[in-house]
Formats: sequence, C-alpha cells, structure tokens
Amino acid sequence: MNKLSSLSEAVASIPSGSHVAVSGFAITRCAMAFVREVIRQGIKKLTISQCVGAMDTDLLVGGGSVERVIYGGGSLDRFGRLGCVNAGIESGSIQAEEYSSLSIAFRYLAGSLGLPFIPIRSLSGSGLLGRIQERTGSDIAFIKDPFSGDRWLALKPLLPDVAVVQVQTCDEEGNAWIMGPKWDSPEQVKASTRAIVIAEHVVPTDIIRGEPERCMIPGLLVSHVVELPFGAHPTSLYREYDYDADEIRRYVEAARKPDLWKAYLDKYVYGVKDHWEYLDLVGGLRHLKSLRADPILGY
Amino acid sequence: MEFTPSELMAVSGARELEDHHVVAVGIGLPMVATFLAKKSHAPNMTILFELGVIDPEPIHTGVGLADPRVWYRAKVLSSFIDILGTVLHRGRVDVGFLGGLEADRFGNLNTTLLGDPKGKFRHMIGSGGANDIASCAKKTVLIMRQEEGKFRETISFITSPGYLDGGDSRAKAGLSSGGPSRVITDKAIFGFHPETKQMMLLSIHPGNTLEDVLSTLGFRPFIPQEVSATEPPTAEQLRLIREVIDPGRMYMG
Repeated sequence: MNKLSSLSEAVASIPSGSHVAVSGFAITRCAMAFVREVIRQGIKKLTISQCVGAMDTDLLVGGGSVERVIYGGGSLDRFGRLGCVNAGIESGSIQAEEYSSLSIAFRYLAGSLGLPFIPIRSLSGSGLLGRIQERTGSDIAFIKDPFSGDRWLALKPLLPDVAVVQVQTCDEEGNAWIMGPKWDSPEQVKASTRAIVIAEHVVPTDIIRGEPERCMIPGLLVSHVVELPFGAHPTSLYREYDYDADEIRRYVEAARKPDLWKAYLDKYVYGVKDHWEYLDLVGGLRHLKSLRADPILGY
Repeated sequence: MEFTPSELMAVSGARELEDHHVVAVGIGLPMVATFLAKKSHAPNMTILFELGVIDPEPIHTGVGLADPRVWYRAKVLSSFIDILGTVLHRGRVDVGFLGGLEADRFGNLNTTLLGDPKGKFRHMIGSGGANDIASCAKKTVLIMRQEEGKFRETISFITSPGYLDGGDSRAKAGLSSGGPSRVITDKAIFGFHPETKQMMLLSIHPGNTLEDVLSTLGFRPFIPQEVSATEPPTAEQLRLIREVIDPGRMYMG
C-alpha cells in the first residue's frame, strides 16, 4: 500500500490537542521539518512526549504549539539548554511532567505491549516522583508484587495518538530502517495509534525484503510516509549528514530573548513556504553538501 | 610531572573502575575517566551510553551523547530499553558516573533546577538517565568540581537519589541497593560513612590543605583519623589523556 504523502498532508492529519511522540534525542534525528510545518499550520495545544527532550520539542514549544510536555529532561548537548521548554516551565506557560529517560521508555514499552502498567526501580526517593504525583495525581502508583509481596512503583502506559519518526530509509508502505542508536523510537512508534515516517530515502520494497532483519518499524503501524532530504536539519542524521553547528548556535542565541526569538520564527518557519524554501534559506545544496556524512565514520 | 585538577579527577575516576566492570557514563570528565581505565588497567570493561551505545572507540571528540562522533566503532547500537532496561534495570551495571549542579552531604544530586521549586527558579537539564543510574546501578561515582555553592547543606531539588536523609533512608524509600561510593572533586576524594551515610573525607589532592577542602563545602563532612594524600597521576595516564583521549581538551576544559 502506497502511503507517500507531502509533508503538509501528513501534518494536516494531526488535529490540535493530539498527543504526539517525537523522534529526536538532543541534537540528533530530530523531526525538524515536521515541526516547522506543524507551527506553520497553526496546530495547537499538543501534548508532546519524548525520553530525552530534543530540539524538535523545543522548537514546537517555542512556536506556541504545545500545552503539555511529558519527558525525561534534556538539553541541546554542549550548545545549551532547551531554551523554549525551560522558559515555558519557568513561566508556567506549558505543563511539564518530568521523568527520567528509562521511566518514559518504560511507559512507551507498556503502551507498545498493551499492558495496563509497568513497575520500575527508578524515581523512588527523588523530587521527580513528588512533582509527578502533584502534577498528574494518577500516572504513578505504588503496587504490591503479587508473587513476593514487595512494594513497587508502577507507571501508567503512554499511548500517543501519533508518533513522528525521522529515519534514514523506508519503502512507500513505511517499513523503515533506523541506522545508529534508536533511543526510544521503536517503543514510541509501537505505543502510538499510528506513525508518520519521515525518510531521507524512500526505496522499493524489494530492497526492504532483501534485508528484512534491518527493519525497525513495520509498515502496518504507519499512516503516512514523507520523503524529505535533510528533514532533520539543523540536527544530524547518522550516516547521512552532520549537525549544522552554526545554525544550532543561531537557534540557541535566538531562544534567549523574546524579540530575537520572534525574528527567528519569522525567518526560519513563517518566512518559508515549505521545506524546499527552508533548505535554500540555510544555504542550499552547496552548504548542505558540506554536512554530508563520511560513509565510514557515519558523521 | 605537572598535572591539572581536572586530570587528577579523571585519573581518580579511572581508579574506581576494574577490569570486566560494566560502566554507564555520560560526556565530559567521566568519559575521560572511563576511556582512560579501558585503555590502561581495565581493557575488558564495557562502556554504556544510555541512548543505545555499547563500547564505542571514538577518534574524534563530540559535543554530547547525541554526537555520532562518540558512537564510532561501537559494538552495539541499540536503544534506551536495551541499555537502561535490559542492562541497567536488570542489575548489570557495576558503576555509574554522575555529576550535577548541586550535591548534598548524602550524595543526593540536583540537575533539574536552581532556586525555589515552588517559587522562582531557573530550570536546567533534568534527569535524562541520571535518576535511572542513581536508582539501579550497583554503585555510583560522583565527579564534581568544588565550586562555590555546588556542595550545599540543602539542595534545591533531588533529581538523582544518593542516601537521601542518610542512615537507612535510601532503603526505606524503596531503593534496596546501590548508592554513591565516591565523590571525586578538584580538591579531594570522599567516601560515605558506613552508618550515617554522610560524606567522609578519604584523601586530599596534592597542593590543597584541609582548609581548602572545607572552605568550599556547605557542610562539614565526616573526617576520620587518617586522611591520606591523593595519589598523583602517572606519566602514562597523563599521556593517554593528553595525546589519545582528549587531545583538543574538549572534555578536560
């Protein structure tokens, strides 16, 4: 089944108020083109979840599309903090439910398996636990192990409406390869009602059938396939392209001040019609080619 | 041979690691400590990065765990569930390295926020895998500089639990094992008192006095009868740090 769509069609399938699990980890494999289109289409009041908060979530928050963030903390690595997420938490403009990496991964895992809850050793004794209980009241509980009688902390599953996953390669049905570490992508996709796959390359299904053990995401979970070059820019896509350090620095700088931030959105999000105009804006083929990954190193 | 406080911290961190250990680590000084151990006395150690990386052999320094430079030549590239779940949560991590914005006398760590959580605060990074490592590793080693205000009587937020209020309070909170074994700073090395679980001075780095150590702590640690001088780095350890692991001084500052 052919699920190839334009980016705007795929994004338009997401109603305001949805829960979206997004793909990034700090500054790598972030669904950046997707996020810019969400902001342009004016989709609002999203709940965003992710194990480690990344640049895609941060831009979504800065673009005013987010009401609630469920995550395990995060940063832009050495480039800086998640400026927009942090500002939202400090001002109270977003509701942040902050866990740890593994507790979010476990919540997706429980969701992916159709389990009602999952016990975990993490969070006990920490300030995170108290805050989550205050904020949600109902997403964490203490239970008794029916076999040993031990007391355990249990987490509610996460069941996003849609997962948006940035990958290197897939076919038109959405059977997808993720190269490099996968962090929470497989569990995000499998816990969600459906997935949107954004791929650097869409290849014939015969290629996928030739190496089926590489397939991380079965097409049966996928509603839309979008083929976009440099869709994670300015973050990296392993074995395809490196992060764009200058553009990430510009972003971090802009996120420090409201007037600079408005100018950033006007230029990089609202100032372009689509992803192709964005790629021209950031330097076009000549610049993007300089980010191409070395095939041996992967970066 | 001359050395910097950072170099001594990295070397002291490496000394906490044994051959065949499974070690969870982040970017920065702890990563230098871990690679140093692996390249010297602990060649059979296994190195883990939370996002799904086992035993990389980077030849370039990276800006963080999200930089593919630090994944280079890994033996496994997998996922959070694989690393933090089936290795860490399963109980297979011997040592986890942690750092933070603030620590208290019981080795509790804050990486979440500075200020008043119920009032005005500045939000920072949060947990990532730190809380998971603090909760599930067999032991943790804290590496932090003794800058003003970092070691406090009371910290703004407990992101990663150490011994909580000391004594058996960690176990009472449901964390039946693990906890910090060492705190390595730029001035000294601390352990934890076996009963009270408060920080206990073990050795002072060359060039520092007891007063230097205490003046930048917001509390008085337990000081046993015998406090030694920290063993300085060897020439070979310094060569590995400077020429092989961090030639650009990206992690060592």
